[in-house]
Amino acid sequence: MRKTGFLLKEEHSGYLMSLPYVVYFCLFVAFPLIFSFILVFHRWNIITPMEFIGLGNFERLFHDVQFFKALRNTVIFLLIHIPLQIVVALLFATLLSQQIKAKGLFRAIYFMPVIVSGVVVTILWMQLYNYDAGILNVLLSKLGLKRVPWLISPSWAMPSIAIMATWKNVGLYIVIFLVGLQNIPGYLYEAAEIDGASGLQKFFYITLPSLNSAMVLVIILSTIGGFSLFIEPFVMTGGGPMNSTLSAMLYIYNQAFYFGHMGYAATLGFSFAMIVFVVIIIQRKIVERK
Amino acid sequence: MFIVFLCDLVYNLNPISDSLIKRTMLFLSVLLFVVGCVRDVGDSTSEVNEVYLTYWCSPNQQEIELAQKVVEIWNDEHDSVKVRLQPIPASQSSEEVLLAAIAGGTTPDICSNMWPGAMSDFIKAGGLVCLDTFPDFYDVMLSRVPDDLLESFRAEDGHFYQVPWKCNPVMMVYNVKLFKEAGIEKPPATYSEFLAAARKISKDIDGDGKPDRWMGYRDIKPIWWQRLFDFYPFYIAATGGGTLFKKGKLILNNPAAVKVFSFFQRLYMENYFPRSTLQGDQFLAGNIAVQFSGTWIVSYIERFKREDFEYDIAPVPVPDDYRGPVYTYGDPKNISIFSTTHYPGYAWEFVKFLISKANDLALLRKCTQIPVRKDLVTDEYFKEYFKENPKIRKFAEQAPYTRGVDGVPDLKEIFHIVSLEYEACCIYGVKEPGKAVQDAERNAKVVMEWNRQ
Amino acid sequence: MKKFVVYLVLIVGGVIFFYPFLWMIMATFRSEIDIGYPGLFVKSLTLHNYEIVFKRIPILRALFNSLFVSLSVTASVIFFGSVVGYALSRLKFKIKGLILGVILFTMVIPFQITLIPMYILMVKFGWVDTYLALIVPGMISSFGILLFRQFFLDIPQDLIDAARIDGCNDFQILFKIFLPLSKPVMITVGIFSFMATWNDVLWPMLVIRTRELMTMPQLVTLFSIGGEAEGQLGPQLAATTLLALPIVVAYAFFQRYFIESMATTGLKG
Repeated sequence: MRKTGFLLKEEHSGYLMSLPYVVYFCLFVAFPLIFSFILVFHRWNIITPMEFIGLGNFERLFHDVQFFKALRNTVIFLLIHIPLQIVVALLFATLLSQQIKAKGLFRAIYFMPVIVSGVVVTILWMQLYNYDAGILNVLLSKLGLKRVPWLISPSWAMPSIAIMATWKNVGLYIVIFLVGLQNIPGYLYEAAEIDGASGLQKFFYITLPSLNSAMVLVIILSTIGGFSLFIEPFVMTGGGPMNSTLSAMLYIYNQAFYFGHMGYAATLGFSFAMIVFVVIIIQRKIVERK
Repeated sequence: MFIVFLCDLVYNLNPISDSLIKRTMLFLSVLLFVVGCVRDVGDSTSEVNEVYLTYWCSPNQQEIELAQKVVEIWNDEHDSVKVRLQPIPASQSSEEVLLAAIAGGTTPDICSNMWPGAMSDFIKAGGLVCLDTFPDFYDVMLSRVPDDLLESFRAEDGHFYQVPWKCNPVMMVYNVKLFKEAGIEKPPATYSEFLAAARKISKDIDGDGKPDRWMGYRDIKPIWWQRLFDFYPFYIAATGGGTLFKKGKLILNNPAAVKVFSFFQRLYMENYFPRSTLQGDQFLAGNIAVQFSGTWIVSYIERFKREDFEYDIAPVPVPDDYRGPVYTYGDPKNISIFSTTHYPGYAWEFVKFLISKANDLALLRKCTQIPVRKDLVTDEYFKEYFKENPKIRKFAEQAPYTRGVDGVPDLKEIFHIVSLEYEACCIYGVKEPGKAVQDAERNAKVVMEWNRQ
Repeated sequence: MKKFVVYLVLIVGGVIFFYPFLWMIMATFRSEIDIGYPGLFVKSLTLHNYEIVFKRIPILRALFNSLFVSLSVTASVIFFGSVVGYALSRLKFKIKGLILGVILFTMVIPFQITLIPMYILMVKFGWVDTYLALIVPGMISSFGILLFRQFFLDIPQDLIDAARIDGCNDFQILFKIFLPLSKPVMITVGIFSFMATWNDVLWPMLVIRTRELMTMPQLVTLFSIGGEAEGQLGPQLAATTLLALPIVVAYAFFQRYFIESMATTGLKG
């Protein structure tokens, strides 16, 4: 009885019910954050004692060619991935918002790659991209075109991964844009029609500006995705050819689990996270000002 | 990621009816039921009042079979000390697994897949039992391996933490028929002979404008240990048995290394080795003439080859001006006892059992790998086996002319750096070999400095 | 004419998004030599590729692991999400605002920062190679809490007051009154946490080394890049198909309902 009595007091049950989160937060959020901050100043391979090295890890970072390479690769990925994603998603979202039959079926199909695991998509596309026997190159050579060295040329490898990532995620963005399109009030278009606006004018002056918040979402999600790119290069290229697909996450993984540099890996994680923050804030500012 | 959208999707499901939920539940329970029926129940052997030793072996099929056999015999003979076998959990590399095991205190009692290149951290962390404290250590060791070989496994602190067990000398395995067809009578021994052979063998057979028969093939992913099977054995051969370090100093930037880089550069530039990922085993399919591999490949080939497949073994090629015995990388794997063990004495007994003559012969028979044992080829005990298996004999004869890796903590990173330069220079040809080797040494030194500052 | 172009583009898009999956499924029934054929036709049907997969890797065990882990995480996320969400939406207590702020804050922390310390935590807890490492860190989701909170905010206060008068405590109110009303949000949270756990491969790769404990994506990844597939395409694709299957089937279940409900409610773009 006393227990029920205790719970009857709103404040008490409030504390009790939020307790699980507090415990979880301390263990899996606060501790890792603090510990990450400690690691950044140490050299440690987990099994021997930690060594304090001050700003040594950051010094290393600033001289680390591979860190900048990973950063550059991420930028290349995003520069291809984001515009491609937006154009394709806009195209299909616009088409799907017309009066057509089997809308649900189309949407369901476009959404398929989103729901399956990245591992599935990666292994499947590795076969599609195979230089000698992959079906893309087989098709190209049947059409009398030259084979494309998808994953084996340093200049093609990252674009290939970006194309694959677009294929995988675009269904999600089609739906986001679709929701956005449905929320545009019809009278805007009617008014524009009365003013004699062309289809393109309507698209650029009404549709695009109304999709602004959807656009922000798409760009931010893609950016986070770009910085979390891991399984694709891990399975397909191991970061090669010539570091051209070395992604931020893959580099952290290598440093931590191949070479046992936990401190340096934490420093890398910390730095990439800061960069993600800054990039997203800048993107938001730019898109929202328009 | 999908979060935001999934909510949209799901809210669109309205009105949510009970039937949807029921259907979901049904679907999930059917799935769970199906899977629950099939899955195996795991090992439920847990007897009490007995000494148990956990033994980790390498996770490849043949070695697991060998270890099962050996452990079975041991358990039959010993009632009070039982050994439980577990293959090393699969991962990218065994070293990574051992590192996590030491950190988590979940190491086994004995492990027989210890790569000497990764030992120094394990020793520093106090993860291993010092073996020379066992009174009969030197007797057992010196009756098995030569003095200087044992010495090469002495740790920085002067003690021994590993028992030399087996090696897999990297040699050239070649397709006899392809060589004959191309008019090559004896296996190429030098770089120019190898290149000449490659020129004859690599071609475009079906005439679609791209080669479909190659001299050789290597995985080109820039993963550090891949270089242990192309660059490194050639480097050891070209330097006449040198390793990356001499008296604790990195000596990578030397003429032999440049020669190896130039050699591999030509192999890729002249399309004797493909850059693309080949599917299936093209060596067994007869589309690749040469493979560089350890002894284990013999049992692999024997298992999967077609009836008419002919192959033979030769030492790896050396630079044209090289004279002397041909050395190679030995890929040694040793046995260690971990300090988490409660019974170091029993563990040591088991280690001695593992390296007994009978079990060394079983290692040869089951896994076609070479036990590290002096006079292996001349010993009566193994004579019959080598008579039956002349190909393995070639590996056994190579075994004394092998080198391992330097026991420095940065070794993996140094190989990673070599890997990056190898990729730029040999595979993509965008760097001069001399420059690549020079850069590799410089970058390796920078990393070593970072790791010690 | 315009309609025609619209349909044409939509169908081409459909082919681009669907054909690779179809090709993959058909390719798994072909022998290794024919596998590079870009069409769907299977000359001589063989189950050999699947035989290899079932023989070499414990794929059914992995399926069980994936289901067990994902369902445990999902159940837990829903349970704790509703409990904490209830507290944050309907109860007054001192640190409520603080907790809400903290939750919003945790949602913007990129996982790159916490990944390494989390791994070390698992090692130090001795959770490496146990289900605990896969389940416990995912048991509570900030996003789940926020969704439940948002939903609970709209439930009328009268219901709570009435229950209080009947002598119900807050747990009883939550489980007897709120949860039966919250099926939509439960499904939302359920699907998103199930999918996130099911598809994750980086985390399992760090904390699980024993094959018997691996989740499906991890096992299939290691199968295809490790030596076990021996570079053969057929078994790799077969393993991949098996990995995709459960989710695609589940998707089909929901999708049918999705289309049905669109038709009945007359929801049109």
